Amino acid sequence: MTLFECRDVHYAYPGRVPALCGVDLTIETGTRVALIGANGSGKSTLLSLLDGLAFPQRGSIRFAGQELTEAALQDEAFALDFRRRVGLVFQNPDVQLFCPTVREDIAFGPLQLGIDAATIERRVEALAQEFHLEALLDRPPHRLSVGEKRKVAFATALAIEPEVLLLDEPTAGLDPRTATHLIERLHDAVHQGRTMVIATHDLHILADIADVVYVFGQDRRLAASGTPEEILTNHDLLEANNLIHTHTRHIHDHRQYRWGG
Amino acid sequence: MCDKRRRGSGLAGDFVARSIRGALTFLKEAVFAEETASLPGLLQALDPRVKLASVLFLLLATMFARTLPVLGMLYLVCPLLAVLSRLRLGFFLVRTWVFIPLFSLAIAIPALFSFVSPGKIAASVGIFHITQPGLRAAIFFVGRVTVSVSLAVLLSLTTRHAALLKALRAFGVPQIFVMILGICHRYIYLFVELVEHTYLAIRSRSGARLHHWQGRRVVAWNIGQLWARSCALNEQVYGAMLARGFRGEPMTLDRFRTQPRDWVWLACVTFVCLALTTLR
Repeated sequence: MTLFECRDVHYAYPGRVPALCGVDLTIETGTRVALIGANGSGKSTLLSLLDGLAFPQRGSIRFAGQELTEAALQDEAFALDFRRRVGLVFQNPDVQLFCPTVREDIAFGPLQLGIDAATIERRVEALAQEFHLEALLDRPPHRLSVGEKRKVAFATALAIEPEVLLLDEPTAGLDPRTATHLIERLHDAVHQGRTMVIATHDLHILADIADVVYVFGQDRRLAASGTPEEILTNHDLLEANNLIHTHTRHIHDHRQYRWGG
Repeated sequence: MCDKRRRGSGLAGDFVARSIRGALTFLKEAVFAEETASLPGLLQALDPRVKLASVLFLLLATMFARTLPVLGMLYLVCPLLAVLSRLRLGFFLVRTWVFIPLFSLAIAIPALFSFVSPGKIAASVGIFHITQPGLRAAIFFVGRVTVSVSLAVLLSLTTRHAALLKALRAFGVPQIFVMILGICHRYIYLFVELVEHTYLAIRSRSGARLHHWQGRRVVAWNIGQLWARSCALNEQVYGAMLARGFRGEPMTLDRFRTQPRDWVWLACVTFVCLALTTLR
């Protein structure tokens, strides 16, 4: 079943160059989709559009058959249903954590969506245990380390128990242990039947986290799509879209590739 | 001489750094009082709605106070409450007295002179004459501001921000106003962090010490840049709230429950306020 359907999506931030120039893609229920591309290729913008935080200036985005427009999200019933079903983890956890304590931040989403207090309490405790946040629950989020903040940000989105999880660079800036822990939690989320859309630069984790990969070109259009294996073995495609680079000064004789954006 | 100049400019450079660090630390402590709000003190134990109502009564009593002794008594209540709420007295006094000149002195000073408040001359400064009615009006004005600021600082230091916003809604303050306050609170913190990081980035590229005029120039360049970045941050924070179902009405975990002590407290404050406003 098609969950998101983007048709000829164009978007430009006011006074800036276009961020998306005619993107077409579909996201099926229960799939893990990775969006990869160089900096400024429009991945984060697409996540904002999929979460109904901004709207295409041309083209359309449909969620479960209903077009995502400003007017549609003004409708209380639709907005409530949409926010219950879709969760977004922002790239910058500082943006996402605005409550006085970690506990309140995790509870914020369910509280706004009218979930009863006992259920919220259960969810907060379960997530705190899952992410090893028990000792941090009553601390202000701004006093946490980057890794801790990212875990809390992830927990705040999962507290809604959304069907779809949109993640913007979930492992950026994390040490290997924290990154692995988060990837394990992503696996758990998938086993619970969630659809996931992950914008990332980290090609190392692609095979672990995605069934389908969409490659964004520097012209802010889709350059290619395929399975992680198809994409990762296409070095020309990755190099053309600034996802890997060849060292111009060779330390060794053979050609070397480096992952990264 | 060269050494002296270097030492001098270093101190001046440190002055810019110290000013920025001091201002940011003060702002963080003044606006983000979650730690003091969690202390087991008198005001912290009260229901936020009751606390807000009692502060409003005390503010009304301050406005209607007709004599200086009454105003003085109302002021004395504030440090007393601060001590009973386990706030450090120095911390509380600094926070109140820093704001008072900002709010009152610029307005009160002209009122001292005969061209604004005619009457019997109490003292003269050159061609300017300070009148008795002017002096009285200025003292009353500064006194009322002092008590009001002290009460507001007490309220903000002993109440968690989210609970305060919820209490405001309970008193019928419009949702849009409460929402803007909520976003501003978070936004100020991000802004402070942005300023800190920007200054660190400048220091890392400019060496350990800047000459004071270079420091001022760098600060001036960055004001515009910070404004643009902070506007973008503000939008992102609001987006993050919307993404988690925020519809303009802040919902918090706190479930307000009044207890007998809340009613006793409110009765005491009401009695004190009535007694002080009727005192001649």
